[in-house]
Amino acid sequence: MLSRRLLKKLDFMLITVTLLLIATSLVIIGSATHINNPSEDRYWYVERQGLFALANFLLIFVMLHFDYKALSKYANILYGINLFMLLAVMFVGTSALGAQRWIQIGPISLQPSEFSKIIMIICLAHMLDKRTGRLNTIKDVLPIFIYVGVPFLLVLKQPDLGTSLVFMAILFGMLFVAGINMRLLMGIFAAGIAFMPIFWHFLKDYQKMRLLVFINPNVDPLGSGYHIIQSKIAIGSGLLFGKGLFGGTQSQLNFLPENHTDFIFAVIGEELGFVGASLVLMLYLILLYRGIKIAGAARDNFGTLLAAGIVSMLAFHVLVNVGMTAGIMPVTGIPLPLMSYGVSALTTNLVSLGILLNIYMRRQKILF
Amino acid sequence: MPTASHVIVRKRIVFFLCIVCLVMTGLAGRLFFLQFFKSPWLTENAIDQRVREIPVEAKRGMIFDRNGRELAVSVSSASVYAIPAEIRNADETAAKLAAILNLDSNKLAAKLKKRQAFTWVQRKIENETARAVQRLNLPGIGITQESQRYYPHENLASHVLGFTGIDSQGLDGVEITFDSYLKGRPGSIVVEYDGRGREIPLANHRFVPPVEGNNIYLTIDLVIQQIAEREAEKILKEHQAKAATIIIMDPRTGELLALVNKPDYNPNRFADYAPKLWRNIAVSNAYEPGSTFKIITAAAAMGEKVVRLQDRFFDPGSVEVQGRHIHCWKHGGHGSQSFSEVVQNSCNVGFVNVGLRLGVEPFYHYITNFGFGQPTGVDLPGEAKGIMYDRNKVKPINLATMSIGQSIAVTPLQLITAVSAVANDGVLLRPQIVREVRDKKGEIIRAFQPDIVRTVLKPEVARELKGVLEDVVEEGTGKNAFLEGFHVAGKTGTAQKVGGGGYELGKYVASFVGFAPADNPQMAAIVIIDEPVGLYYGGQIAAPVFGALAKDVLPYLKVAPQPPASDRPAEKDMHILVPSLINLSVAEGVKELQKAGLSVRIEEDGERIADQIPKPGSRVPKGGVVLLYTRTPRFTASEVTVPELRGLSSKETIELLAELGLVIKPEGAGTKVIRQDPLPGTKLQAGASITVYLE
Repeated sequence: MLSRRLLKKLDFMLITVTLLLIATSLVIIGSATHINNPSEDRYWYVERQGLFALANFLLIFVMLHFDYKALSKYANILYGINLFMLLAVMFVGTSALGAQRWIQIGPISLQPSEFSKIIMIICLAHMLDKRTGRLNTIKDVLPIFIYVGVPFLLVLKQPDLGTSLVFMAILFGMLFVAGINMRLLMGIFAAGIAFMPIFWHFLKDYQKMRLLVFINPNVDPLGSGYHIIQSKIAIGSGLLFGKGLFGGTQSQLNFLPENHTDFIFAVIGEELGFVGASLVLMLYLILLYRGIKIAGAARDNFGTLLAAGIVSMLAFHVLVNVGMTAGIMPVTGIPLPLMSYGVSALTTNLVSLGILLNIYMRRQKILF
Repeated sequence: MPTASHVIVRKRIVFFLCIVCLVMTGLAGRLFFLQFFKSPWLTENAIDQRVREIPVEAKRGMIFDRNGRELAVSVSSASVYAIPAEIRNADETAAKLAAILNLDSNKLAAKLKKRQAFTWVQRKIENETARAVQRLNLPGIGITQESQRYYPHENLASHVLGFTGIDSQGLDGVEITFDSYLKGRPGSIVVEYDGRGREIPLANHRFVPPVEGNNIYLTIDLVIQQIAEREAEKILKEHQAKAATIIIMDPRTGELLALVNKPDYNPNRFADYAPKLWRNIAVSNAYEPGSTFKIITAAAAMGEKVVRLQDRFFDPGSVEVQGRHIHCWKHGGHGSQSFSEVVQNSCNVGFVNVGLRLGVEPFYHYITNFGFGQPTGVDLPGEAKGIMYDRNKVKPINLATMSIGQSIAVTPLQLITAVSAVANDGVLLRPQIVREVRDKKGEIIRAFQPDIVRTVLKPEVARELKGVLEDVVEEGTGKNAFLEGFHVAGKTGTAQKVGGGGYELGKYVASFVGFAPADNPQMAAIVIIDEPVGLYYGGQIAAPVFGALAKDVLPYLKVAPQPPASDRPAEKDMHILVPSLINLSVAEGVKELQKAGLSVRIEEDGERIADQIPKPGSRVPKGGVVLLYTRTPRFTASEVTVPELRGLSSKETIELLAELGLVIKPEGAGTKVIRQDPLPGTKLQAGASITVYLE
């Protein structure tokens, strides 16, 4: 069992915010799905999500017994497992909505690309740990890019543009914290922008369309632009206090697609209004703030990098998802952490937060 | 121990926090923008998406004549609409509907596939067809009740009433000027739908009832309008005129009792007629009034006291103004005459002298006061204001021609309004077409009172002028407007039509404007005959029409006939009552006329007289010409009710039938009618024959 001393050092603020976000999530998913439901049970989604949250709490509690430092040791093995899973998806995965992303194991369909995010963070932390402060030339960073590039391309191939972009966010977030030379970073960005047209060429037609409708949703209001328009209408009609839970006309009456997963924030905007939506954003800000605080408080460099990677991932998810529902980011299918329905993502996020708790719990006694 | 790299990492972490805070603030800012600045627009979008309105048309108000007789009614009629989102199979639906509604199924299918909330399939269809559509019970197709305008009297008063469009919106006549009263407020059925186009069962299903339009009571009197329509119709037939206009006004109130332009149109099927027939020329057409305008010249001269009735004028046949000769219509001139006689004779030379004596300023003052050069303000659309020379540029020659009604253009309504002011002791009233607006319960919403514009003549001057105008009919050019038992005042006019930079040869406008009874006017009327063929003097063809109008209208208005004035015994002898010659042989007719002291002109070479001009019962000066026609009766083809003839003498029967325009077929010999075929009360076309059995 954990010693009292360690338990006292838990980040209770982080735990409170997490629980509040999960509670909000369950209520909103309930509101969004209670009419359109695959089974007889009105609250099937809520029950499933809640069940997985509880299972994850248990998992986190178990994980807290082990020092996070152990993760560094298994980094290479995890990297291998990750590649194996992604390749498995390619050959034995099931496809849905035009993408092959899932592996069916009994009643549960797993989405390996979700787990590969946290695996990538652990592997990168392990790799950058030794290189911190020595990231000044192309030669220094090239191995890192190749290291990330392999799983990145596998995910992109599925295709899962969203997750591959998350990989990029994690990579750059961690490189940044690891003290990459700023001029080198700018050079890489410049090169990335220069290669954009070539990258565009490799995009699937529907992905191109999504980017085009992002610029002007009205080029295809009933096709690709439909999500954005409906989402904006839902948020905009929420006004200050919203239409009340279960009262959103856009989300309840089938106008808003994916209302319990990717567009759940639009339901919050419509039913809880500006006040509710800003409060949810505030919770995320506190969550991210605690994450960064933990990065700074970590006992060792590995912990700092681990926390920085997790914060980068979460921050990118929040930015792209909320931005997407509010019409300032293209539609890429990135769920809102802890809020969107989806058990794989929930597990990834809660495990990530578990790691944060673990790092904080074992922080240095003396903060500098 | 913090190493160098450690310091960098710590700096970067702080920087990282700043970036995260910035991003979150940006997101919150975006939310604020959407939920506060764009929210009205987005909220409206949200409502638009799920709420659809099916319009329910308001029942349009009715239009009645002054006595509450229906002139325009609204009958309910069914319309088929579609809500495309609800339609399951557009092609099949279109095919089924097209078969019943007689539409092109491909076009209809295209319409039903369009992304729109609501569309009409077909509007205002027969109830039987609507029931057939309803029986199909197609999803997304519905029936709603709309109202359709119906004008029970068809062409009657079409230029006053106007017509309505498919949305029951007024498009012409009082339908447009009183549209805001008539149209009511449309209602709607509000239905909520979800994102998949399914009706939400327990959602707001509101019915917003339409508000019925208000009813309008015109100043028009159906009976007087019918009389005017009959006379206008007759003008077209008898004179092959291009057009005819008759306006009858109550000079005491300015109310229009009848307004007719012929040819006209049937407002029930207005689209089948050329748009130029929709034009209400009585208010929208300015024409040269000719001699009828001399009433205004006389009024100005008498009002300004530049002439007295006994002033002498000499007419040598023409007068020179600024090097131009203005001729009198009478060749050789009228010689020496008093002003009163100048008016009676409609002497151009006399009036030119009066006009010149008057001068520009006073003359224009009166013309403008009488309402010329500006719209009368009647509540009918498309009113013209007429054309006048610019006051500052008028030369004596213009003044001269204006005083005889040339080089000025007025609308028929302006002229009758001005003459009504003379009849109304010098008070000009705004002409009115609507008396009252009532809601559907009969409560008066708006009532129109006589609207005094201004006093244009002193009462004593107006009365004096009335006497002069009465003389025109008693003794002068207006004799044919004479009506036994009533004093008629008025003025004839004959104007050559203007066109192509000058006067057109052989194209005339004959007119008569007047009022009766002269001492207590209860009707004023203007008769305008545009381009008659044959006779064209106003006195010959327009004046008799006034007489015919007055003969029927005055008794209808319950104006008691006055005994012939005892101080003018000689007058009656000057006129000879034209006998009825219809149905007589030509030889007999000539004999009758000779006996009466009238001359004859045979216009057609048949044997039996079918028609005559002037009409029987008219009065003409001794030696006047009566034209005899033998072919087609020039009576109107209007319906005639067969009268009871039994017990009448043969002579009475002949006279009665002639007056009605029916042809007599005598059977048997005798002097008393014992049987007739058809029976009394039967409706016959004028000119039909009736068999009479004599004993």
